Amino acid sequence: MNDNQTLLSVENVSTHFFTEDGVARAVQDVSFSIKKGKTFALVGESGCGKSVTALSIMRLVSTPSGKIVGGNIVFEGRNLLELSGKQIRQIRGNKIAMIFQEPMTSLNPVYTVGNQIVEAIRLHQKKSIKAAWADATETLRKVGIADPEQRVSEYPHQMSGGMRQRVMIAMAVSCEPTLLIADEPTTALDVTIQAQILDLLDQLQEQNGMSILLITHDLGVVAERADNVAVMYASRIVEVADSRTLFAEPLHPYTQGLLKSLPRLGLSAKRLQTISGTVPDPLHFPAGCKFHPRCCVGCSDKRCQTVEPKLRKVPSGRYVACWYAPGYEKKCKT
Amino acid sequence: MLLLTRGFPLNEQGVKLKKELPKGRGLWVDGLRRLRRRKLAMVSFGIIMVYLLLTGFVCVTEIFDWQVGPARWDEKVGSEYEPPSAENIFGTDFLGRSVFRKTLYGTKISITVAFWASVISLGIGVPLGAIAGYFRGVVDEIIVWLYTTLSSIPYILLILAFALVLRGKTVFGYKLAGITSVYLAIGFTSWVGICRLIRGEVIKHKDREYVLAARSYGCGNSRIILRYIIPNVFHIIIINFSLSFVGFIQAEVILSFLGLGEKTRPSWGAMIDAARLDLPKGYWWEMTAATIAIFFISLALNIFGDALRDSLDPKLRIQ
Repeated sequence: MNDNQTLLSVENVSTHFFTEDGVARAVQDVSFSIKKGKTFALVGESGCGKSVTALSIMRLVSTPSGKIVGGNIVFEGRNLLELSGKQIRQIRGNKIAMIFQEPMTSLNPVYTVGNQIVEAIRLHQKKSIKAAWADATETLRKVGIADPEQRVSEYPHQMSGGMRQRVMIAMAVSCEPTLLIADEPTTALDVTIQAQILDLLDQLQEQNGMSILLITHDLGVVAERADNVAVMYASRIVEVADSRTLFAEPLHPYTQGLLKSLPRLGLSAKRLQTISGTVPDPLHFPAGCKFHPRCCVGCSDKRCQTVEPKLRKVPSGRYVACWYAPGYEKKCKT
Repeated sequence: MLLLTRGFPLNEQGVKLKKELPKGRGLWVDGLRRLRRRKLAMVSFGIIMVYLLLTGFVCVTEIFDWQVGPARWDEKVGSEYEPPSAENIFGTDFLGRSVFRKTLYGTKISITVAFWASVISLGIGVPLGAIAGYFRGVVDEIIVWLYTTLSSIPYILLILAFALVLRGKTVFGYKLAGITSVYLAIGFTSWVGICRLIRGEVIKHKDREYVLAARSYGCGNSRIILRYIIPNVFHIIIINFSLSFVGFIQAEVILSFLGLGEKTRPSWGAMIDAARLDLPKGYWWEMTAATIAIFFISLALNIFGDALRDSLDPKLRIQ
């Protein structure tokens, strides 16, 4: 897994939240790796642990309740979980940058956007204020903001959601990170702006050669942009594949259900299928496979109800966590 | 045909007809602009400015030793207990001194005390509140314990105790006399309110997305507190400053009235204290003069503080 093409590898990471009501296992035993210059998508329903996975990589899980309880996160040969507070701060924003879901609230309302970009630049690079301002203007131009010379001295509340997200992206790429974590970057935006923002990310990726970890619940976004996809359900990754195979031939019943619930062009307008039930509460996960109460295949299978399948490589070269996936059990016995 | 883009007319070639975008306005500029539209607030602001200018004027006359107006408060201008007249609008006191001049001079004492008391209480309350709210845990518990303990002691008693202890003490070779001990006493005892407010606000802000975002750029704790959270709660500090100012003026009056304040120079509290015994004899003017002075500054500060709150509160604007 750790060849020189790999930028980030997440190995068996578990993040738990210790609350008064008990331990919420938000992320369990998650492993994946991101190659240089590629886009890796993490897909799943709300509350399945996507964002917590991203925050774990940045070591930004809110303390004291949240804690990364196990695993390794190896980034450019260094284990991020072993770094001191100062060392991780040098990586945040500089090597790994993040953009958030809510552009409306992710900018500091009391400073101009230029001020904030300059701050992000000067945190990591020894530059004069003047040079940093020039950089800030240039970055704003790069992310497609018209009149960057004007806009750089405006305040966040004077901008629309799409522009603010562009500013967020400008801040994130201002130090030319090698990994950009985009946590649902388009959820809060309307559809036309969504496409623009995603195109912008593609374009920046091409220019800087950075890798992107794209977190989303929108499968349409994934199909077009991602090289590899991991599907998350209730704190675990249930399936990993490159996006073409995943969409063509999903192995896990959850992925199958997700794809069936999407409307498709060219198919007759029948009623769409849904996945019955709701996402389980992270404080009270069901025993066995966490998907079994909602699963159309294994809901009455004793083994599905008692033993949780781990993510394993199946003969077709993909990773899946389902007793019913073709080849899964054979692999298991050996 | 004209196309509209961002509110500016474009011609067919898509060239903007208007050159400049409106200049960016910060929250502060915006808030102050809103404030300027409130007439009552501006009148109050004018009154406050009059008091401040008067204070400045008295300070200047003292520094340069000019013998004009309020600086000559201890001069005998008539016989004792002269009622108000065209000559002496607030009459004279038991030594025949002009009550009007004493009142003007008292402004300086009161404003100075209130100002330094504010500075001290904010200087203690804001950092403690920010640290408690941001770091939580043990630090928070210690600070909360400290201020709940402090606030469980009756305010007047506490302030009296502080004033009594501090009076006449020598600190760093500087003798704490008169008003110095008064504002130290007030400052050290009145930071609880602002500390509590700031702590609450910081708790609210520290989990906001922009703080998380700041952390994701690699900002450290001190930078996040100083550059991100404090500027976002600063309006609370300003509003608290203007509203607690009134309380501090009144605290000075109370302390002086109880005989713990300024002894050698006139202050509003000392004037009321002196007039206490004169009032039954029908000499009402000294008390009235001091009361009027307190009344106007209190009212003005209250109205202005409320207006500040209304126009600076970001909840009304930021979504």
